[in-house]
Amino acid sequence: MKRPEGVVVHLLLVAWLLAPAFAGSQPPEETPREVLTVATWGGAYEESQRRAYFEPFTKATGVVIETVHYDGGIKDLKNHLAGTEVQWDVIDMIQSDASVACDLGLLEPVDPGILVPAPDGTPAEEDFMEGAIQPCFITQIVFSTVIAYNDRAFPGEKPDSVEDFFDLETFPGKRALRRSPVGLFEWALLSLSVPREQLYDLLSTHRGLELASRRLDSIRDAILWWRSGEEPAALLASGQASMATGYNGRFFHARVMEGLPISVIWDGQLIGYNSWAIPRGTHQADQARAFIAFATRTERMADQANLISYGPTRKSAQRRIGLHTDTGVSMQPHMPTAPAHMDNAIFRDHRWYSKTLELREQWFQTWLKQ
Amino acid sequence: MDRVGVQQMAYQIGMVTVVAIAVGMAGSLAAIGFVEAVGYLNDRLLISPYARVQAGNQPGLVTAATLGVPAIGGLLVGLVVRFLIRERRGLAPPDAILAAQTPGPAPGLKSGLASTLAALISLSSGASVGQYGPLVYLGAMFGNLAGRVRLNLRHQRSIAIACGVAAAISTAFNAPIAGLVFAHEVILRHYSLRAFAPVTVAAATGYIIANVIFDRPALFLVDFTRVEHSYEFLLFAVEGVLCAGLAWLFVVLLKYSARAGRRCIPASWARPAVAGLVVGIVALWIPEILGIGQETLRFATIEGAFGIAELALVVAAKLALTALCIGFGFVGGVFSPALLIGILFGALYGMVLPYLIPVPYSGLVVYAICGMMAMASSVIGAPLTTILIVFELTRNYDLTIAAMVSVVFANVLSYRAIGRSVFDLELRARGFDLSLGRDKAILGARLIRDYLSTTYTAAHTSDTVEAVRQRLVHDQRSEAMIVDDGGKLRGIVRLQGILDSPGEIPIEQLAIRAYTVFDDSTSVWQSMELLRGFLGEAVPLVSEEGKLQGVVPEEAVIRAYLEIVHELREEENEAA
Repeated sequence: MKRPEGVVVHLLLVAWLLAPAFAGSQPPEETPREVLTVATWGGAYEESQRRAYFEPFTKATGVVIETVHYDGGIKDLKNHLAGTEVQWDVIDMIQSDASVACDLGLLEPVDPGILVPAPDGTPAEEDFMEGAIQPCFITQIVFSTVIAYNDRAFPGEKPDSVEDFFDLETFPGKRALRRSPVGLFEWALLSLSVPREQLYDLLSTHRGLELASRRLDSIRDAILWWRSGEEPAALLASGQASMATGYNGRFFHARVMEGLPISVIWDGQLIGYNSWAIPRGTHQADQARAFIAFATRTERMADQANLISYGPTRKSAQRRIGLHTDTGVSMQPHMPTAPAHMDNAIFRDHRWYSKTLELREQWFQTWLKQ
Repeated sequence: MDRVGVQQMAYQIGMVTVVAIAVGMAGSLAAIGFVEAVGYLNDRLLISPYARVQAGNQPGLVTAATLGVPAIGGLLVGLVVRFLIRERRGLAPPDAILAAQTPGPAPGLKSGLASTLAALISLSSGASVGQYGPLVYLGAMFGNLAGRVRLNLRHQRSIAIACGVAAAISTAFNAPIAGLVFAHEVILRHYSLRAFAPVTVAAATGYIIANVIFDRPALFLVDFTRVEHSYEFLLFAVEGVLCAGLAWLFVVLLKYSARAGRRCIPASWARPAVAGLVVGIVALWIPEILGIGQETLRFATIEGAFGIAELALVVAAKLALTALCIGFGFVGGVFSPALLIGILFGALYGMVLPYLIPVPYSGLVVYAICGMMAMASSVIGAPLTTILIVFELTRNYDLTIAAMVSVVFANVLSYRAIGRSVFDLELRARGFDLSLGRDKAILGARLIRDYLSTTYTAAHTSDTVEAVRQRLVHDQRSEAMIVDDGGKLRGIVRLQGILDSPGEIPIEQLAIRAYTVFDDSTSVWQSMELLRGFLGEAVPLVSEEGKLQGVVPEEAVIRAYLEIVHELREEENEAA
């Protein structure tokens, strides 16, 4: 048996060796502000995040959130990770990008165990919509790219389908489309009565893309291209375009907050998702996980949904959507996921999108040049 | 009705319902599993356009898959068929028909599973064959299993098989009425309430399961309001006639291809690999021919997706390659290829018409659908089923009426040119002719050996005439069978032939050598044919080595006939 003196000597020795380490980690004067950096999209969307997530998180934990601007895609994330130090702790990504990033090993794993059950006790796995919980990202909102029109452009019969978007005879006027091979071909085929379940199968064939090209040819001269998210509403408001595609949140903002005469056609809305993820190599991965756990709580998600018309991916949060926090407008009818809007919604196939990047770009450039 | 009778009836109804639901569920789930597995493997093996386009950055890989997958798949199919299936061919709807129609032994479970595996490989590797044939057989296989359980139900096997088939079709097309009618029209070939009730339950079970867990796109969803001009019905009829011609061509090509395969490649296991290689080479040029062709089917209903020349080329290629794949031994059905060829031909017809007769038309869709159903119904011999499929999938009355006109004209002609269906042709090639009705098929399948009698008068070759004469008088018969030491039949004698003959000569000298004889494999039908002009009392039945087994009295042949026909009539006219 060891003598007790020996044990005491060993403990003292260890304490002496560790002392500098403790001293270094504990500055004498005051605790520094802990900062978590979130890469996100700016504008009204970021504003809603600030109010629903960032400020409450700081209040609860004392951790301050700083944001950096991120415009989507993999390239920016890759470039950032290639730099000397990883500054981004959390990133808000389009689901298809997150999925590619995960495959490329650019993201930290996210344990589903961190997700908090719904207030009524429903486990997170059942509360989140299917496919939202992934090994390295948690899908949090549903957004949609929709067709909208200027009410004043069509005083008589109103357009109400994707087919009408291609019908220049009945609904004349310019069409504003995003200058990017996203959504164009889905709408082209949808307007030819292709069922939404088969869109990506048909678009995978040469014949399908040709057919989409020919359909787009029929409105080629009426197209106005836009690049950034705020343009479509502006083009409609100014009367330059009679119909436009754009993000549903922006159209909501234009109509409800700014009182512009813009109506949304929900037929053929292209549904996409945004997800929280953690870039690989951040020093604050645990803090980032704590933030994701906090931001995916039912109350937080519902709070955001009452600020901007993007749907939360938790069923318990969807049930709590009520009136707009500032204006008192009922939010439910503006959500992409409202049952009345889902009849002919296209779910963007994120796998297909991530694998056909080059093909789509090539097809688009060729079509533009024709 | 007494208590025992009521109990018996309650048992029958309850048990039949349980069997129908169980077989319906099994058939439906198996169909879902099969279709999902094919879809999954098509993606993994780079056969589906969806997967091919996603591998677009590796064009070499896509080319290698196009050439390699069908060929290797063919080789695997060849080996599975050669070594795992006792019948050495893929099991298909004809086997289901035969099992339901005749009491003979049906293919075993092992063969059925191996055949399903072969079909799965065929379809996964892009062979130009259909999926519904294997699904029908899968349903029939479960029905056959349920038919073997000792439940003491009347006509258990045929009803259970029909239940399995109805569930499979109901699930695959999401069309329960079509499933119900298909089972009657093609498998059972009669309508009795006893079968109708459980088959309906099974079809409904399949539909419910399909709707709960099988969320696949419908076979076709079309946008069609109505037939605009009455004269178009005439054009639908003409289209039906042309489709009958196309169906005839398809059948001829199938026959020719099978013959060419046997002649050119003696090793049966190697044939599918050769066909697979050809499919791969052609697919590099015309990718539409690869696999089931869901995308092509959809394009055919979209105006402007195909040019006239393109359509003609795809129709010809699909026709030729389907015949090649099936004739060379890929395991799969003819229904999906017939649907595809038909819809493409219909679209072609719809596109060419305006050039021939410049009058207004109701658009391409209705002609495409008419072509699809006219062609498919001629090939599988199921006009009612195909009309109902249109109705259930589109719920469009005008479209259904248009398809009905085409289907009926196609069938009237194809019935004369081809026969009822390719299934019946195949059965006829195997010796079961259903074209003269079920009676003959069953009479042809039932053996006369079952009616053998061993009470007859026998004489040895060395017996004297007098001894035989006395024995016949004693037995009160007019005929004796003459056998040698080995028990072999040497001839027969009739009393009237030996009445005046000298008594001491050996009987063998007076034996009649030319007489009617049955053997172990003589069917009831054959025995009736052989009895034409027969004057004796009974016909001897000999074994393969010529040994006398016994005799079949003329009365027994008539009894066999009456029993079988009575059984059939009873089944066909039965209520629950």
